[in-house]
Amino acid sequence: MTEPNNALGTTRSTPEQALPAKFSAKSAGSSCRSATSFHDGGVLTLTPRKCRWAAVLLALVLPAGAGWAATPADEVTAAWQLVADHLGRDAYAKLDRLAGPPTREQAFAQAVVAIDYQPVTQQRLQEAEAVFGQLARGDDEIAAAAAYLQARMYQVHYQQQDYSRAAALFLALAVRQPHSHWAQLGLVNAGLLLLYALPEPARPADRIAAAEALLPRLEEKKLWRDLQLQLGRAGTFYEQPLDTVLPHLLAADRVGGLVGQVNADLLASIGELSLRAGHYAQARTYFERYLREDTYNMRRVTVRRRLEDLAALEAKAREGKP
Amino acid sequence: MNRRLRSRLGLALFVAGYALAVTWVFTRSSPILTDRPVVIRVAHWQIERGPPDGLKAIIRRYEELHPRVKVEQVLVPGGGPIFRQWLRSNLVGGTGVDLVEFGIWLDGMSDIPARYFAPITKEMLSPNPYNRGTPLEHVPWAQTFRDGLISQQVNAPVPGQFYAATLTEVSTRLFCNRALLREITGGEIMPVTLADLRALAGKVREFAARTGRPIYTLAGSRDNAEWLAEFLMQGATMRMSQRNDRNGVLGHNNWDELEEYLDGRWSFRSPEVRAGLELMREIGTNMKPGFLQSQRDASAQEFLRGDALFIFAGTWDGTSLRSLATFPIEVIRYPQPTKDDPVIGKYLFGRFADGGGGTAVEIYLNKQSAHPREAVDFLQFMSSVEGSQLFTDHSGWLPAIIGVKVPETIKAYETPWDSFTFGMPYITIGSTIISQVALNMYQLDGPEGSVDKFIAAMEAVMPAAVRTDLRKEISNRFLSLRPQDVQIMALSALSRQRPGDAELPVAQERLESSQIQTEALLLQMSRKLAEAGPVK
Repeated sequence: MTEPNNALGTTRSTPEQALPAKFSAKSAGSSCRSATSFHDGGVLTLTPRKCRWAAVLLALVLPAGAGWAATPADEVTAAWQLVADHLGRDAYAKLDRLAGPPTREQAFAQAVVAIDYQPVTQQRLQEAEAVFGQLARGDDEIAAAAAYLQARMYQVHYQQQDYSRAAALFLALAVRQPHSHWAQLGLVNAGLLLLYALPEPARPADRIAAAEALLPRLEEKKLWRDLQLQLGRAGTFYEQPLDTVLPHLLAADRVGGLVGQVNADLLASIGELSLRAGHYAQARTYFERYLREDTYNMRRVTVRRRLEDLAALEAKAREGKP
Repeated sequence: MNRRLRSRLGLALFVAGYALAVTWVFTRSSPILTDRPVVIRVAHWQIERGPPDGLKAIIRRYEELHPRVKVEQVLVPGGGPIFRQWLRSNLVGGTGVDLVEFGIWLDGMSDIPARYFAPITKEMLSPNPYNRGTPLEHVPWAQTFRDGLISQQVNAPVPGQFYAATLTEVSTRLFCNRALLREITGGEIMPVTLADLRALAGKVREFAARTGRPIYTLAGSRDNAEWLAEFLMQGATMRMSQRNDRNGVLGHNNWDELEEYLDGRWSFRSPEVRAGLELMREIGTNMKPGFLQSQRDASAQEFLRGDALFIFAGTWDGTSLRSLATFPIEVIRYPQPTKDDPVIGKYLFGRFADGGGGTAVEIYLNKQSAHPREAVDFLQFMSSVEGSQLFTDHSGWLPAIIGVKVPETIKAYETPWDSFTFGMPYITIGSTIISQVALNMYQLDGPEGSVDKFIAAMEAVMPAAVRTDLRKEISNRFLSLRPQDVQIMALSALSRQRPGDAELPVAQERLESSQIQTEALLLQMSRKLAEAGPVK
């Protein structure tokens, strides 16, 4: 039995369904110390009369305290914030302190934090994967995120990668919840594995074609862009004909939104590869755009030189025309 | 006082104390001892004359602005073994300072950023609050640096993310003893081309022979020779880098060059590399014998004693040299080869870069800092217009920040954008390779050395060294990728709960995008290694 627990539509499990929320890290140095470990012996002997006074006092104080206390959902949110602030250990300790059967969100957060809790052990990763596997059986956002992370365990987290299993899990998620962001991100990851890591297809062109086939399933523009960029990079990596590489890079640029060095590299790359492929007008457009957009990089000097080279090539091409 | 009264008094005191504690907990958010200062420690190895004074000036002003925060400057000698051991042992032991200088080129330390440093990308993409009232008020912090932090982005554990703020811009220059130049040549005409420098070196040798004084053209030490070697090698190999630039990005990263070695696209036998080595050997003959046994302090002393006409050094040594010298110093750019140069003329792409490639003295945030917000805040002040001006005025080093006034005395350190760079010199592309070059440098220099001997020695170790360094690159990328999944999930959870916060989905999207690119690089490297197989 489950009941709606918060605005996310995530659910709180009954105790029978409680997920394994404690990880072996506790013995590996969690900074959380339970209150019971502070004192064992009695410090004050209370007579029956004193007990009455104490009971009155506690009756006054505890309800007020309970009113002020943070809910488990607040604590999980606070833990996520700690993670976002790169304070993973503190997040782990905060989640570890929560009492009672964990909600799905809490169990998920605990498993997520555990995968980067130092020192990382394979045992803890396996425990986290078990939680992800269990959570992935649902059909909500957490289920999709958990399924994605389960695949990531095999792709990057385990000491020994199992790329075939990771790809299979990504593709299964994309079938189960095709519109989820995590399924979409998983498809891009599956694309990378197809391009470089899976045993099949063997030929570079077939690898690129297999990854290309994932593009129509990508509904999120930015992820579609990222896969296009990687298809272009794979094309240069495998030294494919430039006219098969450039369309991917141009498609990535059309979506836009890349920042910093990545964007500068893309502009320079389209300019230079276009020049090499003989698409002079396109090369000029991108080199000039590079000079407008990347104002800090000393590569500007080289781009200016390539524009000079380009002018010479254009002149030569004009001379060659009847 | 009878026993019963004492007991009641004790109970009353307990109740009063408990009530006070409860009231405090539920009505105050600050600790009881509010005047306890936050202490931030910032460590660096720039113990030359200049930077400690520059940072001291920044700290003094920052502490005026923030009375609760104390900033301690920790000076650690080196960049060499002492610093490396000090840094690693403190980081491993959880006793690292909050902010620390680090260089990606530090030998055997390439795992440190991914393991121990936290990215500051979010802050870098927003304006620096300390630039209010300046022309940089609305400019994202990262773009207020003179180089847009381009090198930091490239060298970050995750390309595209920001992990460090920089303090200065550096270049390499020839520092000339003008009095000695006049004594040797009868004038003060500085060399402009490499041919001019060769001619001048001939005059120095004649002068030394005639007077019996142990004078050399260049002050020599292992450090200065390595800086010069990197500079010359980068210049000699630009055409080769251009040829090998399969992505067409007009630049090379160290991992590109490692992969290209496995592809057989270059080796120490490549004509461009050989030309660079010949130049290195030639330059070595203008330094005192045995210079490889000494370090930069020894070459500085040699120059300051008047035993060398020039010293090739980074502008990081400028303040020390100028303040300690008893003779007038002229700062010039290293004379460049021309197209008719007999050694590298035919491989010349153009003038090669002697600075302007990026800002330096990178200060990173320790993941384990107890006060990350205050530490980042101090970083922001340090690299604000005001902070950077304080640093420049008190250190004699160039600023890292746009709009800071450069004093006339150090204008010669600035590098106009008139030269080319294609990325990493081929001798510094991995910690194993750097060690092997250092280990075998004696095969190149000295009367018994030769270019052929050095090439043979390097080619014997390169196949294994390249594989080792590529494996390290892969391993470092795994280290940086793994925590990002946790970050991405946190950003996603927070943006679900705070739909009004527009920054969260943007941060998540950027992190996912850069993670994809890092992962692709990692897979490319792994594929190259697999294709190359073990050393035969």
